[in-house]
Amino acid sequence: MSERLESLLQGLLALLTTTISAIGAALASLGRTARRAWVLLLAIALIGGSGYALFTHPPFKTLEPGEVGIRTNKLTGSATEIKEGLVVVIPGLHELRRYSLLDQVYRPVRSSKANGEAPFQSIEGLSLGVDLTIRYTIDPTRLAAIAQKLPTDINGEIVEPMVQGVIYKSFTRYSVRDIFSTKRGEIQKEIENELKPKLAADGIILRGVQMGQVDLPPEYRQGMEKLLAEELESEKMKYTLELKSKQVQQTELEAEADKVKREKSAEAAGNEQIIAAKAQEEAMKHVLPFKQKQIEQRQYEAEAEKVSRIKTAEGSAEARRIEASGEADSRHKLADVEAYRLETIGKVTSAQLERDGALISKNPLLIQKTMADKLSDKISVIIAPPPANGGFIGSALLGGAQTGSAQGQQASATAPQETQQ
Amino acid sequence: MMLAALALVAIVTQDSAALRAAPRESAQQQAVLWQGDSLEVRGEKMDYLQVYDHRRERGGYIRASQVRTQSLEPKDAPDLLAVVRFLRDTPGAEALGISYAAAYLKAAPAEAIGPEPFDALGTMADRLARRASVKRGKTDDTVLSAHLEVASSYGIGMQGFERDGRIQLCYNGEAFRRVLAMKSTDEQRARAALALTRPECVDPNITPTDRNNLDTWRAEILDRVQLTELPEYEKNRLRLRRASVWASIAFEHARQHQPAQEAANRALQELAGVNPEDIAEPDASAYTDAAVRVAASRWAAETEPATGSGLAVISTPGESGETCVALTDAKHDQKNPLAKRCTYGLVWKASASVNAQQTALALAVQPLDSWRELWVFHQGEKGWIVDILPPAANTPDVGYLEFAGWVPGSAKMLAVREARVDGRFKRSFEVIRMDTMDVEKQADNPRSLSLFYRWQDPAWKRGTLSMRR
Repeated sequence: MSERLESLLQGLLALLTTTISAIGAALASLGRTARRAWVLLLAIALIGGSGYALFTHPPFKTLEPGEVGIRTNKLTGSATEIKEGLVVVIPGLHELRRYSLLDQVYRPVRSSKANGEAPFQSIEGLSLGVDLTIRYTIDPTRLAAIAQKLPTDINGEIVEPMVQGVIYKSFTRYSVRDIFSTKRGEIQKEIENELKPKLAADGIILRGVQMGQVDLPPEYRQGMEKLLAEELESEKMKYTLELKSKQVQQTELEAEADKVKREKSAEAAGNEQIIAAKAQEEAMKHVLPFKQKQIEQRQYEAEAEKVSRIKTAEGSAEARRIEASGEADSRHKLADVEAYRLETIGKVTSAQLERDGALISKNPLLIQKTMADKLSDKISVIIAPPPANGGFIGSALLGGAQTGSAQGQQASATAPQETQQ
Repeated sequence: MMLAALALVAIVTQDSAALRAAPRESAQQQAVLWQGDSLEVRGEKMDYLQVYDHRRERGGYIRASQVRTQSLEPKDAPDLLAVVRFLRDTPGAEALGISYAAAYLKAAPAEAIGPEPFDALGTMADRLARRASVKRGKTDDTVLSAHLEVASSYGIGMQGFERDGRIQLCYNGEAFRRVLAMKSTDEQRARAALALTRPECVDPNITPTDRNNLDTWRAEILDRVQLTELPEYEKNRLRLRRASVWASIAFEHARQHQPAQEAANRALQELAGVNPEDIAEPDASAYTDAAVRVAASRWAAETEPATGSGLAVISTPGESGETCVALTDAKHDQKNPLAKRCTYGLVWKASASVNAQQTALALAVQPLDSWRELWVFHQGEKGWIVDILPPAANTPDVGYLEFAGWVPGSAKMLAVREARVDGRFKRSFEVIRMDTMDVEKQADNPRSLSLFYRWQDPAWKRGTLSMRR
């Protein structure tokens, strides 16, 4: 900046000096030749002319952003590099050349179509158009040094011939298919590599080569498209297969997840079952002591029942014993009484018999009377032969008679038969 | 399948009918046929029909009076249905009825078949299964097994479960499922739902997960029946079934740490909806069963109270599926509890009740869905102990033992016990001595025990189901 201001001041100073010296010289000359009016008029005309010239051709120029100027002093031949801003350019003394430092673009239009003016040739000799874009810029570091040598039309005089020389050569090394699809990047790189040093030699930096649309010959394009379509199909198949494989993988994973889920669920269900079974077992365990208690209670009850029964039986046996003993005593007493009674009765009977004997001895017919009395209510008729001896009619029946026992027996056998009848 | 090939069938109407080799009574017997067997008619000789038994794959002659010959033309379908209607409610004629129902289904055009034959088919199959499950004399055995075989030949599926040491047969309910799927009347739906959700037909060896799924399904089936048009006793039947199913669901939800309050409330509501005046005689046992089941898990409907500074229980998870109960008070926290015990059952903390002296605490613990125990924490000579009282001293089945109050000034407590023992429900109100846990006095009615009547807990009286009519 200071350099630029210095240059500006220098210019202004030079202009002022020149103007003052001219005015001074004019005034001196006026003073010296005041009397000569034509000189004055000439001076006025000169000043007016200078003023006009300054007005119409101002000694200042402006450099836009991204521009760089090379000011050449025509007198000395020295060149000064000036960046953007105001620059003093004294007409006649200075000459200013502007260079843009912005990226420039070159597009070889003639070779962009297969049926254009100058199409590229492939290795097969087919014409094809490629939409190329070459981006470059002037090397700002070397500008001051090479500015003198640079032509005015850099694009047309340096870049275009160089690019043409490289690109045509490059494309002839590749087949259409390579250019069209697979080796674009490689071609682009190759062109860049070849072009870069060449342009650098001229102070131009190659920013890049971009390959755009490739225009193929119509027939080739059709074939190519078919081929590409097939390739695409093949690619599609590849991706389809990949997709299928991924799907298989996904199914596998899902199945695995499902398996794990089922396993987990089965495990959970199993656990639940175990817990339920444990709960049941626990409930049973709680019941068992009460069951045990119940059994024990029943045992105790049974024991008590047993004891009670034994006691009852003992009591009963004892009671029976006592009863039996009582009974025996009672019977003994009864037997004694009976014996006494029998004895007494015997005595009475004996006494009675004695009395009866005495009576019968006294009255023997009393026996017959008694017998007849006893039989009287049972036998109504007695058919028996009268005793031959004129004895008692019942003597044969009684058998008591000493004689004729056989007859007596016969009679006794017949008599009941009769009586029964 | 068999009937498909035939247009004229002979249905055996008598048990032990003989299939003979010739049309004579003295001819050799080929097979013994039972009522409901279907035979293909191939000819007629004198009083005998020449038939072929596809099930046994043999032909022969049968006395014409022992069979009814039926045509399977669509025009004969109404006649067949009339016979099905007649046989539907005839005990002992299930096999014959099933046979006629099958014949009707074959004869009638598809668009004319409504839910009625399926309802009849299901009713008869269900009755046959029940008949086969009850204890009978040996004379019936042969006939019953033959009838089951006849039913099986018509595709009536039976399932068998071992329960109390014997096999319980149950109809698989296919016909009833069809009734539910068709446009049927409320009564038909009610019958189908009741038959499909029979509690005795739940496999006792089913896993808890399957049991949960089954109960959810049973609840859904029961909810499909509209009660409005049904007679009162039928409504009661459905409500009782719903109550017991929802009680099980509440227990299962609580066990899985899911909200169980809604299910428990539903069970209580269904039970409360039952009108005891209109309970049919055969349903009396079902009423008690449902009430005991609901009572066993009734604490699921209660919200857990906030623990105060006095005697309280804190539950923490123990091993997998285990809950540990710690008894705490103002001086003893959870880390140094007064007493601690772990259980695989459900601990109903809402049921915790402390006596006035703070020396005892009663807690309800439910190890099974229809079995609730009473845990009593009390101060013994050597410190705090916990005694566990089961509802009955038999295998855990259906029952509960509920705390009913403390007797002030004595180591006694009141409890009510209701459980099924040897197939019969017994309910008793008891005074229990806490030192020995022996029942000091018991009665069928709380009014009969002066201690009980005097000191019963108002909270217990408000929530208990044991005071139902």
